[in-house]
Amino acid sequence: MSKKNKFYWFEGVTEKGVKSLLNEENSKFRWLRPQKNRRVLVILMALGLVLTSMGSYWPTLKTNLGMSGPVSGVVYSVAAVFVILAVIGGYSFLRIAVRSIADAPDELLDERQIAVRNTSFRYAYFILGYIIMVLLVLMIFAPELQMFQSEGNDGSYLVIATMFACASLPSMVMAWREKDI
Amino acid sequence: MLLLMSRNPEEPVYNRIEEARAALGLSRQDLADKAGVHYQTIGYLEREEYSPSLVLAIRIAKSLNQEVSELFSLTPIKKGK
Repeated sequence: MSKKNKFYWFEGVTEKGVKSLLNEENSKFRWLRPQKNRRVLVILMALGLVLTSMGSYWPTLKTNLGMSGPVSGVVYSVAAVFVILAVIGGYSFLRIAVRSIADAPDELLDERQIAVRNTSFRYAYFILGYIIMVLLVLMIFAPELQMFQSEGNDGSYLVIATMFACASLPSMVMAWREKDI
Repeated sequence: MLLLMSRNPEEPVYNRIEEARAALGLSRQDLADKAGVHYQTIGYLEREEYSPSLVLAIRIAKSLNQEVSELFSLTPIKKGK
């Protein structure tokens, strides 16, 4: 066996990393494997993504709640950093929880795992379609309904949340659906 | 709901993998190594929750010194026979 650790650029995984997670003797993060724990992680991740996207709504929310001044700015910045770090952590744990099967290339998986991965991507595609549809509806109607305050809304948090949703949805679907991983 | 949809609507493939594996004194991991799959795939097969491809069925049958027709069936198999 080659000692070289192959890096799969397209998938963003390494050969040793995936093999190590697929190996049952690897007892690290075993607590993440039960379906119940994986589902809790999926719910937390979904919550983190919603909170991240809400960052773009903050200027409007701040005005509506009558909050202003430097204190609210600091609270906002600290909360934003905390939520984004939590989402990054959640994404990493999700990948571990599903043994990187959602990201691994065919050559590192067996036929059942490939089928599971492909099914997860199929459902993730549908879910992403619904998310994009909601975003498009928001984009079209939000200015008309004056849902957002124009000042300070750059939509960057919405973009960050959507990017994380794209990256983590297959793992989230897999973590939710699979009995044994 | 989307995520609760039936996972495998196709006809199940019944098998006597567990019985044949036990007869040879092999663990799931041993059989998985021989057949070139993850040990959990063997578990899924033994519980008849996954229908193998023809290639995998042949590899498993070969690993267990059996014929594919002896090991797999489209009708329920009476275990222990």
